[in-house]
Amino acid sequence: MTTLGPTLLPWLVALPLAGAALVPIVARRDARWAGGFTLVVALVTTSLASVLVAQLASQGPFSADLGGWAAPYGIELHFDRFAAWTMPLAALFAFVIPFSWRYLDAPLPRERWAPFYALMLLNLGGLLGFSVTGDLFNLFVTMEVVSLSSYALVAVAGRGVAAWAALKYLLLGAVSSLLVLFAVGLLFALTGSLNLADVSVRLAAAEPSGAALLALASLAVAFLVKAALFPLHVWLPDAHAIAPSPVSAVLSGLVVKVGIVGLLRVLQLAAGTGISLEPLNTVLMVLGATAIVMGAFLAIFQDDIKLMLAYSTISNIGYIVLGIGLASPFALIGAFVHVFNHGLIKVTLFLAAGAIIHQTGYRTLSDLRGVARRMPQTAAAMAIGAVSIVGLPPTAGFVCKWYIALGAFEADQGGYGFALVFGALFIFVYYVRMLDAFFFRSPVRPEVADAVEAPWSMRAPVLVLAAACLVLGVLGGIPIGFVEPAVVDLLAALGR
Amino acid sequence: MRVFALALVLVVAATMVIGIAGLPPHGDPDGPVHTHVGARYLEQGVAETGLRNLVTAVLLVYRGFDTFLEVVVIFTALVAVLALPSATRQPPQSRDESAAASRRDTDDAVPVSPVVFLVVRLLAPFIAVFALASLYRGHVTPGGGFQSAAIIGAMMIALGLVFGREHAARLVPHGAKAWLQALGPLVFAVVALVGWRLTGAFLGFPADEAAHALREALVVILEVAIAVGGAVILAQLFMALDAPS
Repeated sequence: MTTLGPTLLPWLVALPLAGAALVPIVARRDARWAGGFTLVVALVTTSLASVLVAQLASQGPFSADLGGWAAPYGIELHFDRFAAWTMPLAALFAFVIPFSWRYLDAPLPRERWAPFYALMLLNLGGLLGFSVTGDLFNLFVTMEVVSLSSYALVAVAGRGVAAWAALKYLLLGAVSSLLVLFAVGLLFALTGSLNLADVSVRLAAAEPSGAALLALASLAVAFLVKAALFPLHVWLPDAHAIAPSPVSAVLSGLVVKVGIVGLLRVLQLAAGTGISLEPLNTVLMVLGATAIVMGAFLAIFQDDIKLMLAYSTISNIGYIVLGIGLASPFALIGAFVHVFNHGLIKVTLFLAAGAIIHQTGYRTLSDLRGVARRMPQTAAAMAIGAVSIVGLPPTAGFVCKWYIALGAFEADQGGYGFALVFGALFIFVYYVRMLDAFFFRSPVRPEVADAVEAPWSMRAPVLVLAAACLVLGVLGGIPIGFVEPAVVDLLAALGR
Repeated sequence: MRVFALALVLVVAATMVIGIAGLPPHGDPDGPVHTHVGARYLEQGVAETGLRNLVTAVLLVYRGFDTFLEVVVIFTALVAVLALPSATRQPPQSRDESAAASRRDTDDAVPVSPVVFLVVRLLAPFIAVFALASLYRGHVTPGGGFQSAAIIGAMMIALGLVFGREHAARLVPHGAKAWLQALGPLVFAVVALVGWRLTGAFLGFPADEAAHALREALVVILEVAIAVGGAVILAQLFMALDAPS
């Protein structure tokens, strides 16, 4: 049992990637096999992830030396509690994939199904690799796998606008990737090492230099672009709203978290080097609070439900970044728990919205009036998701936002606590608008008046995820207890 | 707005230049780059990996996982292009349509000059041999899988340009295409598995002297997979381009 974790860890990344390469082969005879095969790979990967999490829970963090070369000479994968708490994000793929089966009928011709599912698995493998890697250059390469597959997934379903949205995403994403590569180069020149832990130790030993500061700043900015923190969010609304709904769910719920996990790795890197993080934390707090309010404010004016959900992601990233910037135990715990909880809620919302759009053909609030009469289950799931994201008890969103608010007062930054509550009110307004349109208005479109519930392969994932939003609200203490030791360690290393 | 953007670019660029100026001097033998991890590769690389080309040693042995992911990135580029709307040119259904399609190609295109036609035909076999040589000697001398992939891929694209895409497409057997394009990631996964069984480490290479031949074989298999997979992907990227209309 002792060696099981390190032995299995590399396969967590390799399995979905090799699976992706197999998708076009499996789909040669019948394109429909691609979806089934992809689900199997996602499920096996999820089981592997749960074994690793179980091992971590019983024996603490562990590492794998790839190729048998001890760090810093080889590449090290490191499974800590931060990485472990992103593992449930992988499980969300197991819901998104079956949802895609029927959903793809309309937007994608069959010959493009295999590349689509391959891109989904590449995205999954890249995300897992990014979470567990302990190596700077490996961090860059896994990020590229995630980014490249994401750019393409935005553009799969349409010409014109979709291509422009993907291009905008690609250009900003490329700037961010180049900044990461630039920083990796600087850090390698300063330390001669690529292993994250080793670089941190060697930076601490060396004289403080402007180059080290520049490298950490470049990494922070690059990851904030990937996280779409206001005002670096301009690529997000179009990309997330135009992509097919299963893709929106993955991008909005999971892929933006690359930026957050990356930011935490920057903090770990900086810990102990004597570089003051105060300026960074101030920037994070100010931008985080601004993002909460601006994201919510802009969402109010959207009529398109997917665009509304995309702006809601911007404001939720604001919550997470504010929590990280506050750098108090409660705030950091709340922020990191929200990395998964927001993923769960946002995937629920985007899949429910996708089901509604798929069944009715409409995507704006004004067209979708009264949809709850004909699709009560999906609309109920949407309502649970909405209540969760506003942060009302007893849902998954409440726990995190409550902790971040507590953290604001704990850090003597009560003003940010009020910004948070104020933002929640805005968010409440636009979800009430949505629920009002769905539940209490009469249908204006015949397609909506005659709509039927989505097929079970689409409905079941939505309903299970909505139930999970409630369960995670009731059992909110479990993730908090899980990430707490990691947060305590990080804050101790940062000298707080 | 434009002035603001220009000012921002200048400030960022100046910051970067100042930061870079703070780095240890380039080429300084006492710099961290030459005294830490790199020094160990130079001192023990040949003995530890059994490869005389240290670039290959770092690429495939010390940091093989990065290379695995690089191969995955190349594969991602292909599936990304294949997933996009513009890549779905309907393949010609019957022989008649195929003939019509190639006629259309030749009608629309500027006719290929006989000089270009002859030179490409003449050079193609030599290019292929050069790619093979760079592949075969790659773990000893400069060269290797990626270089070879680029050379073979370029040769296939050049042939496609002069003979038309429909003819060049036949260079990649249709039935094997799905396997060949996935060769890089798949063979890496298999070698990782073999290494795991032999050494207990993911992507591990047997280190003892007795396993020298096996280690060499694993490296060559990886190089061939990178070369063939990469070449097929490059050629397919070219084939997927929209016909000029």
